[in-house]
Amino acid sequence: MTTSTRHLTKGLAATAALALALTACGSGGGEPAADGTTTLTVTVWNLAKTPEFKALFDAFQKANPGVKIQPVDILADDYPEKVTTMLAGGDKTDVITMKNVTDYSRYSSRGQLADLTDLVKSADTSKLAGLDAFDVSGKYFALPYRQDFWLLYYNKKLFDEAGTEYPDGLTWDEYAELAKKLTKGEGSEKVYGTYHHTWRSVVQAVSAAQTGGDQLGGDYAFFTDQYTMAVGLQQAGAAIDFGTATSQKSDYRTMFETAKTAMMPMGTWYISGILEAKAGGATDVEWGLAPMPQRPGATEVTTFGSPTAFAVNNRAEHADLARKFVQFAASQAGAEAITKVGVVPALQSPEITEAYFALDGMPTDELSKKAFEPDKVVLEMPVSEHTSDVDTILNEEHQLIMVGDKTAAEGIQSMNDRVKSEVLD
Amino acid sequence: MAQATAPGPARVRRSRRAILVGWSFILPNFLGFALFTLVPMAAAFALAFLDWDSYGTPEWVGLENFEQLIGDENFHVALRNTLYYAAGHIPLTLVAALALAIVLNRKLRGVNFFRTAAFFPYITSLVAVAAVWNMLFNPTAGPVNQVLEALGVAEPPRWTASTDWAMPAVIVTSVWRDMGYYMVLYLAGLQTIPREYYEAARVDGAGAWQRFWNITLPCLRPTTFFVLVMLTIQSFKVLDLIVVMTDGGPGRSTLVLAQLVYREGITEGRFGYSSAIALVLFVIVLTVTVAQFRLNERRNTP
Repeated sequence: MTTSTRHLTKGLAATAALALALTACGSGGGEPAADGTTTLTVTVWNLAKTPEFKALFDAFQKANPGVKIQPVDILADDYPEKVTTMLAGGDKTDVITMKNVTDYSRYSSRGQLADLTDLVKSADTSKLAGLDAFDVSGKYFALPYRQDFWLLYYNKKLFDEAGTEYPDGLTWDEYAELAKKLTKGEGSEKVYGTYHHTWRSVVQAVSAAQTGGDQLGGDYAFFTDQYTMAVGLQQAGAAIDFGTATSQKSDYRTMFETAKTAMMPMGTWYISGILEAKAGGATDVEWGLAPMPQRPGATEVTTFGSPTAFAVNNRAEHADLARKFVQFAASQAGAEAITKVGVVPALQSPEITEAYFALDGMPTDELSKKAFEPDKVVLEMPVSEHTSDVDTILNEEHQLIMVGDKTAAEGIQSMNDRVKSEVLD
Repeated sequence: MAQATAPGPARVRRSRRAILVGWSFILPNFLGFALFTLVPMAAAFALAFLDWDSYGTPEWVGLENFEQLIGDENFHVALRNTLYYAAGHIPLTLVAALALAIVLNRKLRGVNFFRTAAFFPYITSLVAVAAVWNMLFNPTAGPVNQVLEALGVAEPPRWTASTDWAMPAVIVTSVWRDMGYYMVLYLAGLQTIPREYYEAARVDGAGAWQRFWNITLPCLRPTTFFVLVMLTIQSFKVLDLIVVMTDGGPGRSTLVLAQLVYREGITEGRFGYSSAIALVLFVIVLTVTVAQFRLNERRNTP
């Protein structure tokens, strides 16, 4: 062997080793490793602050010995963009978590997710709340495991001090009156009657759900009553004004946990946050849950919410195991696992609700339990190819109405005009 | 002498070698530049004429993206806002930086401390700067408005909570942040002015204002030109401060071009259209900069 060929062989060996190393990185352990464990990869956001993921993973690993779940942790704010890029680049992560339905519709229409229709058909899914949102002309590409919806949080102590009854079965007008009554103090001591977070859903999604209006329709007259109420509360000083809330980047948790507000419409995801804060001694707020206020004459409790789901990547390395995981997360066992950390599962049954309210620190009164079972949960934002563009416009005009730059009527007029001319035409 | 007028083959070889050596020195840097800046830029230019959603095959659409741009209200708003920001940010920063530099160019006790203090905002994390100024500009409880009220302003502006005052608030913040950096450039420029000029002017009885106008300013022209060009480019490209401070709001009152590029491309996945906006932004910056260079040349050749 001459010197040059020896060099060549060495070079080839090095290249091969490098290639091996690279494939090993890319696959995340394609075949069962030497010790017989299979690694399932799952995309998640803010793993450390989202306890449901760990709860689910632990439960699944316990039920399936020899399986190891490796989370792919992504910053929550960058999640949609990052996952879009990953899927476009042919990433092989097995399970993709669907943070919202809009992104789901994008991925499924591009054929990036595996068909799970048989999983849906094979099991009793009537109790799986939010499943309808994933129906793409009769096919399903994801299964919800978590269903958040909005209700009214209130501070019992502030209600008691004001000598007021807890907010049961309110209309929006009664809610506004109550908020004004509960407002007290001045300056840094001020306690507001209620807190409306700066998201547009606080006003828009709730009126769409309760009036049956269509947020993609291009005619937004149905927002009028809700805006009149929200702007009125701000002007009366019973809710912190929008401009102040945005410029100090108000945190709704701080508002509620430091007793700066007596009431607060918010999603059920905050329950686990508040339980954690109380357990950690960060707050001693005495809280309760009440149903979302309704429009006058409503016979049932209607609110809005959005499901979170797991889907299987079309390029998944362990497709069968991934399907098994998705099914597990949506099952009774999965629901029990996330219930334990205070997260609302998509699977609803009396036992689950009971287990939920048995959690340490949960309010146990009847009103809170009633609040937990709304009659109807409407999807926060309907899904179509226009969702994201309409969302941008509605959000911009929402800000203008809330800072008082436009009246509700002017803002709604310009929503109508802009959505029609910029999106629907 | 004969060698210089008629170079022999050996000389040619030597100079070619010198060029190669020269290239080899810039090669590492140039490779990086080509790979991570030049190629993506060329790709972005090409994308402006395509329709691509980061998935699927790009489709050639010719000038369609630009036609859409002309009728897009968001683009008009963003263009107007960007020009507004530039018109405020460029002159104000220039004047503030120059004034600071002149004040801090004296032999004062503790001048180094003040120079550092003026430079500090520039090296502070932008997110922190934006968050703190947001609190200062808080419409109800912010110190800025409390001072204004104490001074007798009955209804102070609502700053970032109002469409009319959000852009001025952003401009004030950015001037405060950037002036320290340009002050350093001006300080360096001031050091190069020969002291004899001032002495001669004083002997001739020129006042402070005349000295500034007839000596300082003309001698600083190369520095001013450089600062102006840098400021222009920076102003048109503004994104970070606005995203953190107002995120384009309220409504679209502080939406700028760079932000629209991000929104259309990364968020909405319309990479072709987003590249078209980026291309327009590039042409604007290029035109303004070239115009500045021309003007400067003309002034330098009387």
